[in-house]
Amino acid sequence: MSQHILIEHAKRKPYSSSPEMPQGATFDTAKGYWLSDNEPLVSPGSKYGALVSKKCDQETGEDQKGE
Amino acid sequence: MNIETLIVSSLYDFSTDLVVQELESRNVDYFRLNKESFADYRITIDIEHKTLEIIAKGISYVVSSETKSIYYRQPIFLRNTPNDSLSIEKQLVRSQWMGFLRSLTIFDNACWMNRLDATYLAETKAYQLCVAKEIGFDIPKTLIGNHAEKFHKFNKPVIIKSLDTILLREDGDCLFTYSTIKNVNELTDNKVASAPLTVQEYITPKIDLRVTVIGKKLYAVKITSKGKGIEEDWRTTERDQVEYSHIQLPKLIEKYCFELMTRLNLNFGAIDLILCNEQFVFIEINPTGEWGWLVNSNRRFDIIIADWLMGDE
Repeated sequence: MSQHILIEHAKRKPYSSSPEMPQGATFDTAKGYWLSDNEPLVSPGSKYGALVSKKCDQETGEDQKGE
Repeated sequence: MNIETLIVSSLYDFSTDLVVQELESRNVDYFRLNKESFADYRITIDIEHKTLEIIAKGISYVVSSETKSIYYRQPIFLRNTPNDSLSIEKQLVRSQWMGFLRSLTIFDNACWMNRLDATYLAETKAYQLCVAKEIGFDIPKTLIGNHAEKFHKFNKPVIIKSLDTILLREDGDCLFTYSTIKNVNELTDNKVASAPLTVQEYITPKIDLRVTVIGKKLYAVKITSKGKGIEEDWRTTERDQVEYSHIQLPKLIEKYCFELMTRLNLNFGAIDLILCNEQFVFIEINPTGEWGWLVNSNRRFDIIIADWLMGDE
């Protein structure tokens, strides 16, 4: 039996358990968000902006469906 | 500290960062529980008193019947199929923490975005399509199964997709599937019999719409490239070639969207529609759909979600 058509059309990419983070970025447990130079890493005013990409699309579906 | 809002998330869920910052600016007592850090916390659910205590970095955070809201951004069941065999320790960790997350349902006084049982049902594509149709939405002709001959009845190009998010790993790669246009004669028994799939009529020309519903608020955008609809799965188009622009939905379609949310008992939903020759067609709803990619000054979903979590809608 040949490969299932869904596998045949699946996009592959190298697996990575975590995204590459900017140097110096740390997660603040008490605040509950990432910091860079003591400022929020992801926010409308930060150098990374507020636009969060659909980063997990290729790995976990659109949302947080995977582990 | 008794917390008003619990956020169940993961370390790299950056959309959650935006909501949390908004809660912080309002002096809300909250805690963000990240799945990667479970073993670093010390956690106790006390069934008698119906409380959850999380000790993180020496600070105690308590969820109780007084907790206002829970923002749940995690899977509701195990989906990943591991590539390698798991150690017994890892098997235990996977199954038992998932059981712990389900145990959070004891906090039924809190407002949930979204309740786990609602998400579970709403993520079932066959179910959501049937509910959408009952409400009045147009839906594509759809067959689900592994019987190739039945799919040939379409007699024209179709869209094939999975029934549920596919998370596969092979060697050092991960695999993900998008909706794909196919000719039905390519759907042969030896290519579909081993696992069911969803086959839908291919609606064209199309413009994809994303409708984000947060509580009683609704925002619709159309997704285009160079001003035109994208014929394939738009997620396969280079990001800098994709535009997201506001579209005003007809009142009837808005009503259908809200009705769908009510029927599915959801407080957040990301609905995918197609606009074809001025006809709106329901494709699917994602109860935990991502929204961070749509945030701009006119669509501050982080603020709207924080409003909802605080009951300030």
